[in-house]
Amino acid sequence: MVSARRDARVAPPMRYAARWRSRVVLGVPAAVALLLLVVPLVALLVQADWSRIPSDLATPTVLPALRLSLTTTSITAALCLLLGTPLAWFLARSDHPATSWARALLTVPLVLPPVVGGVALLLTWGRNGLLGQYLTPFGIQIPFTTVAVVLAETFVAMPYYVLAVEGAMRGLDPRLESVARTLGASDLRYLCTVGIPLVLPGIAGGLALAWARALGEFGATITFAGNFQGRTQTLPLLVYVELERDPQVAISISIMLLAVSVLLLGVLRGRWLR
Amino acid sequence: MSVTTFSGPGLDSRVALARGAIEVDVSLTAEPGQVIGILGPNGGGKTTTVLALAGVLRLERGHVRVAGQLWADDTHHLEPEQRGVGLMLADSLLFPHLRALDNVAYGPRSRGVGRSAARARAHTELERVGLGDLAGARPAELSSGQQARVALARALATDPALLLLDEPLSALDPDTRARTRSDLATRLAAYRGVTVLVTHDPLDALTLADHLVFIEDGRVTQTGTPSEVLREPRSPYVGTVVGLNLYAAQGDSHGHVETADGGRIVTTSPTEGSVWATIPPTAVSLHAHEPEGSPRNTWRMRISSVTMQGQSARIGLVGDVPLTAEVTLESVAALGLRVGAEVWAAVKATEVRTYPR
Repeated sequence: MVSARRDARVAPPMRYAARWRSRVVLGVPAAVALLLLVVPLVALLVQADWSRIPSDLATPTVLPALRLSLTTTSITAALCLLLGTPLAWFLARSDHPATSWARALLTVPLVLPPVVGGVALLLTWGRNGLLGQYLTPFGIQIPFTTVAVVLAETFVAMPYYVLAVEGAMRGLDPRLESVARTLGASDLRYLCTVGIPLVLPGIAGGLALAWARALGEFGATITFAGNFQGRTQTLPLLVYVELERDPQVAISISIMLLAVSVLLLGVLRGRWLR
Repeated sequence: MSVTTFSGPGLDSRVALARGAIEVDVSLTAEPGQVIGILGPNGGGKTTTVLALAGVLRLERGHVRVAGQLWADDTHHLEPEQRGVGLMLADSLLFPHLRALDNVAYGPRSRGVGRSAARARAHTELERVGLGDLAGARPAELSSGQQARVALARALATDPALLLLDEPLSALDPDTRARTRSDLATRLAAYRGVTVLVTHDPLDALTLADHLVFIEDGRVTQTGTPSEVLREPRSPYVGTVVGLNLYAAQGDSHGHVETADGGRIVTTSPTEGSVWATIPPTAVSLHAHEPEGSPRNTWRMRISSVTMQGQSARIGLVGDVPLTAEVTLESVAALGLRVGAEVWAAVKATEVRTYPR
């Protein structure tokens, strides 16, 4: 047929081979990348002894760690909400040069190795730390306490929250605020009645990210808060300990954390992310 | 009128500030109940003026006095929430998460009115714009025209002494626009404060405003009642808005007028010295050959544009005296008028008006 002959002229055999070559050149590394990400997750699921999970999770060490993780991550999320929202508000509204510096500083904890964060926290809140030295006379000691766990989690999680909420707030039409102010609303009233209700999806997304980051926090916590059962031993720290004592318990906890993460992601994708 | 001693109940202002590339210096005064229409090209400083009156932008020089109260001067600045001002913009900018009623009640609530009193007031305002039965609707459930009316009700629910409308109809489609314009006119007629209406649509200005102010490049280029402006435009932009061919020219006592570009026009209404000369587009007739007889002005021209407008066409002409002519669609066909073609344009001397510049 005429059209077939035309096709043959447009796509000669050389072309066909070239297409296959480019598919291989791009496809192989892409497949490797995917495998590097997926295989570990599969390994976790395959290697787990599923029948043991309920009893593993009932081990006496797990319950305190679970309770501690839930408490500290919830407090961290609350701190993000109460302190991070106003910070995001100022960052979103201001064009002052200092603002871009503040935003740059805020991203440092995102890329900082968590252990370094832990060291920095020790130098801040430790017995002779920048702030800690003023607390020592009052008999207040922060390192290696539950408070230290919360501080470590907040240190790593807050930037996620602030950046997410700031992004949402920047998306607000600034003319809405002009209109609200001519109607008689103060800054604070505008924020509470219009600003926050309109960025609720951003706040929810930011909270979920921050909470997930806090739940997985390991490096800064173990450096700054130590690994004391019932006081500073969160789930990730327990996984690390159990891996040497009873690997199956470590796997069971890991599966639980994986399930929580996937669940969170599912909720986020359905409601707040696309 | 001395600006410094004025303390009447209306608007007395001089707004001077730089914003971006533009230096704005605009004086506006108005009596209570007046609607001032502000027209001008985009980027000329209209919105800057409005935002400065609202207090969203700060004055660098000048003053804003409304209803005898000082809102701003060189040293003094009331925040928008401290001014009795209402603001309505092109997109109605309703709070999307609040019902129409709560949008309108937002102002009274922000100014300390109790919940039920604010809602009662909001109901009244919605009824006055004909939306009493849509109080429970969210903005997304309203048409664009209804949204604009809610925005107007919201702006008026705080009893502002100064109402600022920045292109309130420009986001509406033509049909909705005509209806909303008449709703707006009805509601403004009952409003006792000063209204400042920014628009680029001459029809809005002519039907809603009783005084027009043209702002170009940050300065006032002309003020007057609509009929004054229609009769005697004083800048090329105003000439375009009111649809007249306008020339800056020199005139003598014999009726000879020479435009700045060197074109010559003859008129039966001579004015000596620097003048503006106007030619209505409908007074221009086009001919294939040089016309003979009564017209005293004839020019050989080239057609630069042809646009349709209802049953007539506007023909842009370039030559000694650049012109816009308005002719019937029949003459477009009969004379074969198309871009690039050469024609003769004729204007009777009696149709050319001149007045001092």
